[in-house]
Amino acid sequence: MANTNLIKDTYKLDIVKYRYFWLSFTGILLIPCIVAIIYLMIVQPNHSPLKLGIDFTGGTILQYSTEKKVSIDEIGKIRENLQKIGVKNPVIQTTVEAGSQEAKSEVKNLISIRTTFLGDKESKDKVNEITNVITKDFNSAQLVQVNSVGPTLGSELLRNTMMALVLAFVLMVIYISFRFRTEYGWIALLTLFQDVIVVVGVFAIKGIFFDTTIDSLFITALLTIIGYSINDTIVVFDRIRENMRFLAKKYSSDEIINASINQTLARSINTSATTLFTLLALYFFGGSTIKEFVLAIIIGVVAGAYSSIFTAGTILSIVKERIEKKHA
Amino acid sequence: MKNKLILFWIIMAITIASIFVDYKKPASLGLDLVGGSRLMLEAQTSSSVPKITPEIMDSLQYAIENRVNAMGVGETIVQRIGTKRLLIEIPNITDTTKAKEFIGQTAQLEFKRPKTLADGTIEWESTGLTGKDLRKSLVGSAPTTGEWMVELEFNAEGAKKFSDLTKELTGKQMAIFFNGKLQSAPRVNEQISGGRAQITGGEGGFEYTEAKEMVDLLNAGALPVGAEVIQEESVGPTLGQDSIYKSKIAGIIGISVVMLFMILYYRVLGLISCFALIIYSLVNFAIFKLIPVTLTLTGIAGFILSIGMAIDANILIFERTKEELKMGRSLFTAINSGFDRAFTSIFDSNVSTIMTCLILYYFGASMVKGFALTLIIGVCLSMFSAITVTKNFMHLIFGSKEMKYPELFGLKKEDIENAYVAKETKREKAKFGVLD
Repeated sequence: MANTNLIKDTYKLDIVKYRYFWLSFTGILLIPCIVAIIYLMIVQPNHSPLKLGIDFTGGTILQYSTEKKVSIDEIGKIRENLQKIGVKNPVIQTTVEAGSQEAKSEVKNLISIRTTFLGDKESKDKVNEITNVITKDFNSAQLVQVNSVGPTLGSELLRNTMMALVLAFVLMVIYISFRFRTEYGWIALLTLFQDVIVVVGVFAIKGIFFDTTIDSLFITALLTIIGYSINDTIVVFDRIRENMRFLAKKYSSDEIINASINQTLARSINTSATTLFTLLALYFFGGSTIKEFVLAIIIGVVAGAYSSIFTAGTILSIVKERIEKKHA
Repeated sequence: MKNKLILFWIIMAITIASIFVDYKKPASLGLDLVGGSRLMLEAQTSSSVPKITPEIMDSLQYAIENRVNAMGVGETIVQRIGTKRLLIEIPNITDTTKAKEFIGQTAQLEFKRPKTLADGTIEWESTGLTGKDLRKSLVGSAPTTGEWMVELEFNAEGAKKFSDLTKELTGKQMAIFFNGKLQSAPRVNEQISGGRAQITGGEGGFEYTEAKEMVDLLNAGALPVGAEVIQEESVGPTLGQDSIYKSKIAGIIGISVVMLFMILYYRVLGLISCFALIIYSLVNFAIFKLIPVTLTLTGIAGFILSIGMAIDANILIFERTKEELKMGRSLFTAINSGFDRAFTSIFDSNVSTIMTCLILYYFGASMVKGFALTLIIGVCLSMFSAITVTKNFMHLIFGSKEMKYPELFGLKKEDIENAYVAKETKREKAKFGVLD
């Protein structure tokens, strides 16, 4: 059963034909991200591409003692009220002083709040504001301690993790080059960078305009996005590899790449959709402490699906064309 | 068919065993999810260190971080408070009295030489060779007696010091002190130049745990100053109980929507994948509990990513199977070739994920390690779940029957008009001949 127009039949989108449009469009999307990253690197004294939160910079810890036990709802209420007066991402924990279990009457309940550095000048005012918020709900609450705290993530740990990532990328390129071809390895890395730049860029922009800071969970989000991005790109490449093996004689590489992208389209969309369902539920109904973390992954998943459809294949088609011209 | 039934019962047995483990064994959850203990450590000044400088605090914090990590409980917090205090938070699963003992020891290792005083008594005198001169230490067992001992490996400078010291003390005794306590005082028979030494535990020998603790402390490094626990509290989760409660509900909503989507889009196949995913999660959690893995939000993120990849594997297989059906293959052939074709991409993406995770696990910070570990376990298991469980269920349900109801696959009748026209294709041919 000869099916001569099979490949054209599978086209839902002709991406390769408009590849320069898609690449320019991607470039335009990336520009604000890169500008924001560079801007922050120049402006910030620590030259970090993002505004860093207390996990990286340290901050202030406040401890209040209360007479009654603090319930889950009350923690939520305190968090809401603190965010209203502009205290960003406070770490709120209830603590019970150990060793007091025997004498129940003396059990001392504490609310501990970790937040960004309360600068010298406004520190008194800010502490008073926070105290007001606490005493509104707990009349008897008293400020027991105010201390500065150092970062939980040292720069050394961060550096080690970065080195590990670089090493992991190198190995990944080698593996893909070995299983596919060299150009696939580099393009996979390129799409990976694109996804990471989008996520970091969006948070840099959020940092500039909304003063959003990142915490240690952001690193986890980036790792998740990297894992997801590799997975996405390889699925598309796998289809191209397979079709190249069987169809290379009948069709041009552009046609094959386009067909492969179209054949994996349903999968790309469905996989991203299922992941997004869970993430969106977490974003809208989940707790406020993981909101930014979930948002980062949402952006990463969308970027990953986009890059596997619009970047990986289009760049590959350009590279293939160059290679074919060279050989011709 | 018989083999498939046997496999089915093996899968069921594993699932039931996993449910048992999930039910019986408590999960070890991290500081961010359930909280733990908070210790406040204060650096103590002494005659030799009259003032606590930021540099001393740096090395104190470094040593304490190493020790807390050596306890192997996953993500912990070591944070500087003010000028001479450290705030340490460890998850609930650790025994705080033991932890306090372990964290508070100065862990000073010293080699001493004998000095005869005027009245004939012998006193031990410092030699300048200390724990600072070590490269690493290991737990070993004595070849003759089998007793546990601590093996020391000196760095270049330490090796030279040790060699000089043993030369000087040949024929005499040498003493090894740990935490100010005499561990052993062997007679030196000859100069030892290899840069290695052992500490045997005196007459009774070491208990294994004793030797292990000493090794952990030596590897983590001595504290530059004494430190005392001045405050101890139990703390709630860093992510906030309010937030965790909401997120749990949100997670359940999210997963339900995913399952609903899978069933609506892929029909029977979707239902199969839901069962496969439930089995996958049960087994995965049982493994987490058996190892045990301390679960933090980061670890759970790794787990969720692996679920995402498991769903992706199922989607890949289903899409391929549907494509094969549309091309007119019989049901049995379509399922088999759907699996075979989807497998290469599942394999390649999983292998690159595993590779990346191994490196992150080996070199990354403890938070990154938690992520890498759960993702490695999840990905390895998801290959098992997609290839074995999903395939087994599909074969058992559809067998080698003809496909009568394409709607069960989310296909339309007209999509597969060719199905009964085309001749049956062999599996091997289906694998290689994309276009017939």
